[in-house]
Amino acid sequence: MSGSLKVRVQRYRPEEDDAPWWQSFEVPWSEDTSVLDALNHIKDVEDGSLSYRWSCRMAICGSCGVMVNDEPRLGCKTFLRHYADADEIVLRPLENLAVERDLVSDIDPMLAHIETVQPWLQREQAEAPEAGETLQTPVQMARYESFSHCINCGLCYAACPQFGRNPDFLGPAALTLAQRYNLDSRDEGREARMPFLNGEDGVWACTFVGYCSDVCPKDVDPAAAINQGKVASNVNYAVNLFRLLRGGDDA
Amino acid sequence: MDIQHSDVDIVIVGGGGAGLRAAIAAAEQAPGLRIALLSKVYPMRSHTVAAEGGCAGVVQDHDSHFDHFVDTVSGGDWLCDQDVVDYFVEHATEENLRLEHWGCPWSRKPDGRINVRAFGGMKIERTWFAADRTGFHILHTLFQTSLKYPSIQRHDEFFCTDLLVDEGRCVGVQAIDMREGHHVCLRAGAVILATGGAGRVYRYNTNGGIVTGDGMAMAWRQGVPLRDMEFVQYHPTGLPGSGILITEACRGEGGLLLNADGHRYLQDYGLGPETPPGSPRTKYMELGPRDRLSQAFWHEARAGRVLKTRRGEAVQLDLRHLGEARINERLPFIRELASAYVGVDPVTAPIPVRPTAHYTMGGIQTDIHTATPLPGLFAAGECASIGLHGANRLGSNSLAELSVFGRVAGEQAASHALAAGVPDAAVLREQAEHNAAGWEALREADGDESLAAIRDALGESMERGAGIFRSGEELAATCAELARLKQRYQSLGLTDRSRVFNTQWLNAIELGCQLDVANAMAQAALGREESRGSHQRLDATARDDQRFLCHSLARRADNGDATVDWQPVVITRLPPGERHYGEAGEKPALEKRA
Amino acid sequence: MRKPLPPRQDALWWWRHPAYRRYMLREATALPLFLYALCLLYGVRELGRGETAFQAWLAFMESPPLIALQAVALLAVLWHAWTWFQLVPKILVIPTRHGTLPGHWLRLAHVVPAALCWLLLPLLAWWALGQFAGGGA
Repeated sequence: MSGSLKVRVQRYRPEEDDAPWWQSFEVPWSEDTSVLDALNHIKDVEDGSLSYRWSCRMAICGSCGVMVNDEPRLGCKTFLRHYADADEIVLRPLENLAVERDLVSDIDPMLAHIETVQPWLQREQAEAPEAGETLQTPVQMARYESFSHCINCGLCYAACPQFGRNPDFLGPAALTLAQRYNLDSRDEGREARMPFLNGEDGVWACTFVGYCSDVCPKDVDPAAAINQGKVASNVNYAVNLFRLLRGGDDA
Repeated sequence: MDIQHSDVDIVIVGGGGAGLRAAIAAAEQAPGLRIALLSKVYPMRSHTVAAEGGCAGVVQDHDSHFDHFVDTVSGGDWLCDQDVVDYFVEHATEENLRLEHWGCPWSRKPDGRINVRAFGGMKIERTWFAADRTGFHILHTLFQTSLKYPSIQRHDEFFCTDLLVDEGRCVGVQAIDMREGHHVCLRAGAVILATGGAGRVYRYNTNGGIVTGDGMAMAWRQGVPLRDMEFVQYHPTGLPGSGILITEACRGEGGLLLNADGHRYLQDYGLGPETPPGSPRTKYMELGPRDRLSQAFWHEARAGRVLKTRRGEAVQLDLRHLGEARINERLPFIRELASAYVGVDPVTAPIPVRPTAHYTMGGIQTDIHTATPLPGLFAAGECASIGLHGANRLGSNSLAELSVFGRVAGEQAASHALAAGVPDAAVLREQAEHNAAGWEALREADGDESLAAIRDALGESMERGAGIFRSGEELAATCAELARLKQRYQSLGLTDRSRVFNTQWLNAIELGCQLDVANAMAQAALGREESRGSHQRLDATARDDQRFLCHSLARRADNGDATVDWQPVVITRLPPGERHYGEAGEKPALEKRA
Repeated sequence: MRKPLPPRQDALWWWRHPAYRRYMLREATALPLFLYALCLLYGVRELGRGETAFQAWLAFMESPPLIALQAVALLAVLWHAWTWFQLVPKILVIPTRHGTLPGHWLRLAHVVPAALCWLLLPLLAWWALGQFAGGGA
């Protein structure tokens, strides 16, 4: 199984270009050739000025997300053989994010949103290591474990039209991470995170398009996390309302 | 030239496990310090992310620090500094527990306690794991935890190019802001290098593209010795072709290694007798140490008993008897990787594997406090040689090393920075401009040599001369080739003249680092005329404690070449003994407590 | 110097991928239902205005375009309910002793009562109408 395929790449060099343009390459492929391999081939052989991010080439570092024929994908886990019958492969930087250069997107908005939801384990009283491990059964771990598999590749942000419409929407990865810690039996930070989840740019800005979960390369299912967050947000609202009605001052 | 200058208290270069742990330690110890965390990639891209199998730490009642110490020292073929190993084994568990308190989802037993698995060369199960994504979870836990410290200022995608040195003291770093495309100069009271290994100097390796030895090269260029560089670990199970890592945990869980005839060949290499499938026994067969397993493959390949696959020679890693449920629980990422990259579902077929370069045991020389000989400069993690791994690292010791010595580095650097203060600006301005001019010249390089050609020739040459088995003759040839490549590098031609995200330029800087590091590796390997751990010489097949029970120190000579001298190994309570596995390892000699 | 290209979501983004088109179809089910709800409100108003007005409304509702609208609304509500049942397992997590309730059970727990309602409610209405008609005779 081998051949050669036309790869069309969106170029944008901020120091020279005012608008993006297209460049095409003919790339030889065999059964193992990934989109990342194709980019490395282009950079080594055809045009050394093409810029893109990559590192682990085994779908765990999350660097190499690009739009492949209009779908957000990891370059290292997308193979040319699957496009053998297509006329060409079209590569663009991730949708909904600013383009710094060529296939390099600005992922800082995603990182800022991740920081917003305080994605660290919060305890009212920090334990010393000598106290030993906080017990957590496999069943308790299973509640959040799949949500902890996010590699921050940003494909879900490229897939989310709500984030495209409103960049302040915290978005799939950040909200999933919030849910990951909220569901962790060891965590006591839910109260601190709920205001962000309840807020205008929190879970309610999600309209359950669901495409984020389709494109997730690690099967994290952010759509599930966010919409479970909606249930949590409702419960939180009801609890606060109840407290308010009872005249509590902590509502 | 426009160079941005700023002052901080501590600069940490590298946002992987060691760098993040150091940053947190410094922030906790001295909350008032300004800590700059520089990384050429976003921290969660760092190669810690790809570690799979686990992280060592004594936790079972029938285990002890001494047992972990003995396994590590004998696994390292007695080239470990034993005071360092003692400190390490005593603090590993504590650091793993701290990670647990920070949210790391360690795999658990049904009662909620930490679970551990068997690993190669470890006599008792002490490898903590988070399925087979241990490094991923450790890195993300550390990254997310680091977000709560306002004194840690991240400088993501800052490519560090130089250490700034004034009056024999490291006083900051220089970097390229990849996004803005300009040079920055960060003055600091202390600098920590946590830049990872250099596995990319080999053609076939388990490492990410970023693992190019930058920190080692920066230290080397300032005259800091690189220690034990000849010891490069080949991981016995990488995917043929790509080199993608297939974790040792496969064997810890009971996976079998078979040659082309379906024979469990490890029994023929002093690791037997054969253990029954489904009942792995520590330090036997597939649970032998990595150096021995990789060497066994080499012999099998020579004897023609390996599979010839489309992707190259391979043996078979058979997990089928574990069953689908166990594979999904313990090795889900391996199933994903094998399916995606070689089209094999380990539930129904064996995975083709072969040894590939994986880990640099050596690195920047440090003392037990992570301090390098250059005052103000500290190093931790794979880029450092603190003396923990000796001639062969045991799987799961390196993730624990990141936390144990990352923390030490952070605390030491904080103390140092408080005492040292921020250096005088004027001297550094000149130095920074000189450095920047050099990098600018490289960006404009218009010779006729191609970056990719030199990089590939480097990888091939290292595989040929400095691979699993070496000889004086082949090493000399590799040294000569490296000298030629360095020459060719002077005539490099780059085509991209831009500054913003000019990855060709950055790759060229990385290649310069790789050439320096590879040279140190080859020269040290040439100097060590014995066989020890991962360094096996066909022309000196025995271990020679008379001459070589010592660390190698490769130093940069004035002409840029490497000179090698030697430093004694710290031996406290385990005198050098024979290294045995399998049945031979049951000999009481090794068990005798010193 | 950095000069990022800002992201821009064009008006036709929803046409770009089948997943988006399915999503828009799901959301668009609100439109026929909205129109049908208007018709019903109109009917209530006509009911208040006397029998002649109500009979006229009934005739209006039986006109071919309105029959078509009701058919579309029926399909829309069926489609929307179906997509919703598919999504339920993502939202509803019911812990059990050994994990969580499997998704297909949750889906079944929605589909079966819905199907029963679809069957029983018309029967109930038919019976009630019979009672009403019988009582009037």
